Amino acid sequence: MDFSETAERISQKFAQKGYEADKSSIEKKLRRLVQEFGVPPAEAERTVTNELSKQFSIPPTSGGGPGAEQEKEINGLSPGEWVTLNGKVVALTRPPSQVIAQTGIFADPTGAIRFVVWAKANATPMEMGKWYRIESAVVDEYKGVANLKIHSGSTVKEIEPGPSFFPQVTPVRDLAPGVGSVRAKVIQEWEVTHERMFQSGLLADESGTIKFVIWREDGVERLEEGKVYNIFYAQVDEYNGRLSLNLNTATCLAEEGDIEVASGDTTATGAFVSLTQGSGLVKRCPVEGCNRVLSRQNYCPVHEIQPDFKYDLRIKGWLDNGEKTWDVLVQKANVETLTGITLDQAVEIAENNPLGMDEVFLRMRDTILGRYLTCRGREIEGRILVSSCSFEHFSPDTLAALLNRAGGES
Amino acid sequence: MANGARTGPRRDAPFEREAARRVFSQELREARIHFKDGEDEKSPTYVLLPSGERCNRVFLVGTLTEKRKQGEQNVFYRGRVVDPTGTFMIMAGSYQPEAMQQIARIEPPAFVAIVGKPNVYETPDGTFLITIRCESVTVVDKEVRDTWVLDAAERTLDRLDRFGTTPDSERAKKEYGIDPALWRKMVYDALAQMKL
Repeated sequence: MDFSETAERISQKFAQKGYEADKSSIEKKLRRLVQEFGVPPAEAERTVTNELSKQFSIPPTSGGGPGAEQEKEINGLSPGEWVTLNGKVVALTRPPSQVIAQTGIFADPTGAIRFVVWAKANATPMEMGKWYRIESAVVDEYKGVANLKIHSGSTVKEIEPGPSFFPQVTPVRDLAPGVGSVRAKVIQEWEVTHERMFQSGLLADESGTIKFVIWREDGVERLEEGKVYNIFYAQVDEYNGRLSLNLNTATCLAEEGDIEVASGDTTATGAFVSLTQGSGLVKRCPVEGCNRVLSRQNYCPVHEIQPDFKYDLRIKGWLDNGEKTWDVLVQKANVETLTGITLDQAVEIAENNPLGMDEVFLRMRDTILGRYLTCRGREIEGRILVSSCSFEHFSPDTLAALLNRAGGES
Repeated sequence: MANGARTGPRRDAPFEREAARRVFSQELREARIHFKDGEDEKSPTYVLLPSGERCNRVFLVGTLTEKRKQGEQNVFYRGRVVDPTGTFMIMAGSYQPEAMQQIARIEPPAFVAIVGKPNVYETPDGTFLITIRCESVTVVDKEVRDTWVLDAAERTLDRLDRFGTTPDSERAKKEYGIDPALWRKMVYDALAQMKL
């Protein structure tokens, strides 16, 4: 039994009702009951709780906290509550630490919640797809997301399967951290940025777009670009105010047909003020599904030395309008039109020049740095993935308008 | 949490690059207030533009009229660049290798686009010098120069429209005491030259 955690829980419970219960004295009492008198932990918790209730003249409750006995629906739980739920395990994930026995997602027809079973709870392991009655669990908040904690005072019983139900699908724009289900189309697949990542990209529906990630795990399957999926019970994570979907917990069902997706296009006009390293001619890892850019020694961070690389062109850099800067990423076709250097020409330059690939970088720099460009594309995490771009030209109309503006108001 | 695989790549807080301000040389040369934002060694330094905005980076296009290589062991380049309102000095040393190599290859006169950081120096006799330490210097054509003049004009007018309404411009008003009408006239004159 984790005395300090239980003590915290008890004192929280009273704090909610407006009573101040001293945590350290609760802990001391618990410790004494369990260690000196051999009282089972759940019983000790009840004893201390009842004792405090008496002290504060609150009618005693048996077991857990207030409301623990009452059956609740998942939609409408609030942090700090003690609850009893009937529902189904719809996802199991690998626990991040040994003090946790199980993690996953628990759902009923009204909603879904992530759960944690503490190792110390000694609960029978739950199985995927089965129904359970969870008594006296605590709804907690972890990083702004509601979480069901199954602790030593909770009981978990398998029950008869309830009625079959489908999860509520949420428009992408309305997703909130926690668990979410969407019907969306894979509109982009990205280069994976980490060896533990299996696939990442962008999902979209009529209302918006969201990044998705699938981590490398047994049995995970790749989503196909351009296909529409019903995605049930994904984890909605938040980082720096941006949401992403972790699909490792989700069931993804491909669907026939198409949906109209939100465009989410950004247009940026400004001076191209910096061409960053990794621009120009690059070599990519040929291993299926990898496509990472190789280092100068043809080294892929995952697949090591790859002598049979593929060549590609790209431009990474900063577009700046004097008030705001955009990180832009331009891919081959647009690089060719902007710089006037085709992939074949670039390869030829690199092969016949003492500076090699650097020569391509320098030539591209001399053609685009300091020029005015308009880039259109999708903005993701502060970067525009450019789908079209062109040079800006001098506009006599702007000159006339500015002359008026400068002369007219003095 | 609730998934061990979450401990994936470490992601940094989003990096905000300082926008490169558009400023005409006549205004830039009047700048003498410079300050650091924060106590940290790496905190950015800013020059307060007389039109009322802090600036850590500038983007300028003009004509490189002169370049000079200086120094024996630590070689660096100096150059003079002219825009429609006047002249400013640029420099690039061993800490700006890219810009230094670019300047080395340019034969003046030439239109150049410059991205760099402004620095203010006070000479022993009390005059102020502004130089741009270059991040990059690229040869461009006249059309880019003309487009820049419009851009710099527009951004300067935007600053003047905000003058007196932001903390930076309140400070500029107090510290420089220059009538903003002067900058409006400068913009007008710069634009008027282009019509010819």
